[in-house]
Amino acid sequence: MIRLIGGEMPSWTEDQPAAGGALLRYVVEQLPTDAEVLVAGPHDAALIEALAARGPVTCLVRSQTEANALAATGVDVLCGSLPKLDSERWDAVVALDGVGRLCSVEGPQLDWAESLAVLKRALRPGGTLLLTVENALGVHRLVDPATATAVQDDSAWRPLGEFDDSRPGTPARLTARLADEGLTADWFGAVWPTPAAPTLITTPAALDDGPAGALAALTASALAVAYAEKSVLSDPRRLSSAAVRAGLGAELAAGWLVVAHLAPRTAPVLQLPAVLLGDGPLGERALPEGRLLEELLLEACLSGDLPALRRLLTGWMAALPEATAENIVVDHDTFVALDPNVAAAPDALRRFARTLLTGGYAHPWPAFTELSALTAILHGAAGLPGDYPAVMDGEDPLVPDSRREHEEQLRALRRELADAASRAEFYEKLLTKREKELQKARRQIAAFSDKAGYRFVKLGYGVARKARNRLRKGKK
Amino acid sequence: MHHANHFYGHAHVLAEYCGLDPAKPPRIDGYVQHGWNVVDGLGPGTPYAPGKPIFLWSEQTRRRAWSMGRRQATVIGAPFLYLLEFAAPPVDPVRRGTIWYPFHGWERQDVEGDHRRLIDEIMATEQGPVTFCLYWHEYRNDQVRATYEKAGRVICHGYRGNQWLDTDIRFLHNQLAELRAHERVASNRLSSAIFYGVAAGCRPAVYGDPMQLESEDLSTAERIRRQWPELHGKHPDPAAAGPAALAELGAGYLASPAELRTMFGWAHDRAAAAA
Repeated sequence: MIRLIGGEMPSWTEDQPAAGGALLRYVVEQLPTDAEVLVAGPHDAALIEALAARGPVTCLVRSQTEANALAATGVDVLCGSLPKLDSERWDAVVALDGVGRLCSVEGPQLDWAESLAVLKRALRPGGTLLLTVENALGVHRLVDPATATAVQDDSAWRPLGEFDDSRPGTPARLTARLADEGLTADWFGAVWPTPAAPTLITTPAALDDGPAGALAALTASALAVAYAEKSVLSDPRRLSSAAVRAGLGAELAAGWLVVAHLAPRTAPVLQLPAVLLGDGPLGERALPEGRLLEELLLEACLSGDLPALRRLLTGWMAALPEATAENIVVDHDTFVALDPNVAAAPDALRRFARTLLTGGYAHPWPAFTELSALTAILHGAAGLPGDYPAVMDGEDPLVPDSRREHEEQLRALRRELADAASRAEFYEKLLTKREKELQKARRQIAAFSDKAGYRFVKLGYGVARKARNRLRKGKK
Repeated sequence: MHHANHFYGHAHVLAEYCGLDPAKPPRIDGYVQHGWNVVDGLGPGTPYAPGKPIFLWSEQTRRRAWSMGRRQATVIGAPFLYLLEFAAPPVDPVRRGTIWYPFHGWERQDVEGDHRRLIDEIMATEQGPVTFCLYWHEYRNDQVRATYEKAGRVICHGYRGNQWLDTDIRFLHNQLAELRAHERVASNRLSSAIFYGVAAGCRPAVYGDPMQLESEDLSTAERIRRQWPELHGKHPDPAAAGPAALAELGAGYLASPAELRTMFGWAHDRAAAAA
């Protein structure tokens, strides 16, 4: 059934994908089966279907086209703008797309805090709110070449970006804003790689207690998938990994997913684990202790620690030669694959060489700027036999297309070019010098090749030497 | 690349380590540090082809080279350490006395100082027999050699070579054999010989009139004394002196033969193409 509540947009279709994915679906499936749920804003069909299979669902959307499509699937639909939401109440409100797409172009444009107030009012006493909040300073924003305040999409009719001061900027402020509305946070998770389609959610406690290395690696791999070939300012993998290791993981996450409830209720209605990955909890799989191999290798390269670098390379090639450095966690001398399901890469060393070169990282072999030469050196440093690796070629994995790396490559190329030019000049001078020496030697050989000539030239040399010496004395 | 690569038979030792003919080392596509110094590892005034790799002994030297604008440096450790990797053990393992390296001049700078007084101090300090090892420059000076011959055995490891000519390619081999025959290695200046001695199992000492090169600025010599006090004195503590000496040689940083072959441009296909 569809109810038009006012402010609906008759011919509008959302131009950005709805919130969803396997992980968000898992989260909503943890709601009690008998709960009446309002799904506020665009969410993907699978998520709504999963909820509808459990109990009564009402969807709130601003697009009439989408409202019709939803109604056709059998769920109740409210179509219109958030301020028109009336006195109806639900056991749970799911707003995993955030509050940015709840108001239509018609009528008041609520800011973040006002939107939260309306969503809260839609809860019955003791009701539960599932809310995603985008982090305006999250990794996805920090690496985005486009500014949130200059978006030209049809949906960006009010591109406030980070200028909505009511939107909380830290996990602590988010909890405080919820408390202002009488909402108690039961569970709080930092999400990667994007707020609308997370594949990794962890609690700040998990980030603090670790294993930080593995969690940092997981954020990096989540971002690697989402940002393969995407244009970015800088590599989001390094940024998030450094943030997690520095204790700023939650603060720089793409967003936050919070489960909160209204009084009176003492126990939360849904229980979520500390780490959610892929399509649900880790389950039996424990996260390995230790640091990501790629980061350890880079650290050894940057600090010029060749002994450590050789140890890592040797251990890697002995333990998991076909796993890439970004998929291995190292704990002392133990090398463990982070995700054992990733396809084998016989050219793993070459891929790391490529990371060194394209990332512009300082490393112990700066004069070797060719991928094949650097791979061959790494191969030798790993203690592998033979001069050239049998497997040298492979498909290069898609990696974030980073502006910072472009800059670095430009700088490196300019330097190489300048070096090549100076080298040409150097050889030119050397050649000229050698040519002169050769000419002199040839003249001497010619002169000394017959006896009379030899005597004559010897005499000439003697006279010339005397004249030179006299001149020198005269100068003194 | 540069004739200094062949000094002391360095290129020859490295070729042997890489499994190539030590008599005919292929051209090294870069510059191998030929002696210990406290600058960028290259000899002063070495004409450098920009962008070519510089192969240095130690990480400390690499950092210093970087600070001096040398960007293409790779640490490989001293060639002497490579020799230790494959040299046969000494025939006679007994060590006796001290091998003493008086600070040497070179082709363009003579050393100034009183050799006689230095010898007296050495003989008063050393317990066992003393072997004096002179650099070829002093060794060929009959007067200087005779002064030392009065006090002990006098040797010379050979001629380091110049412009690829007359290089004694067994220089380091000779030096290793002599070092292994002595308990102590000593000099009046901290130098490669002291470091090599430590690597070859000698206890080091640096004492006596440090002498002076013609028109030498002594600030560097003084800096060296300040930086490595653990290596100076008549009887430095080997526990502190040993690691300091080995670090200067780049112990622990040696590259595998495969790495060296690639870095030097000695990999099989390239070496074959160049031949």
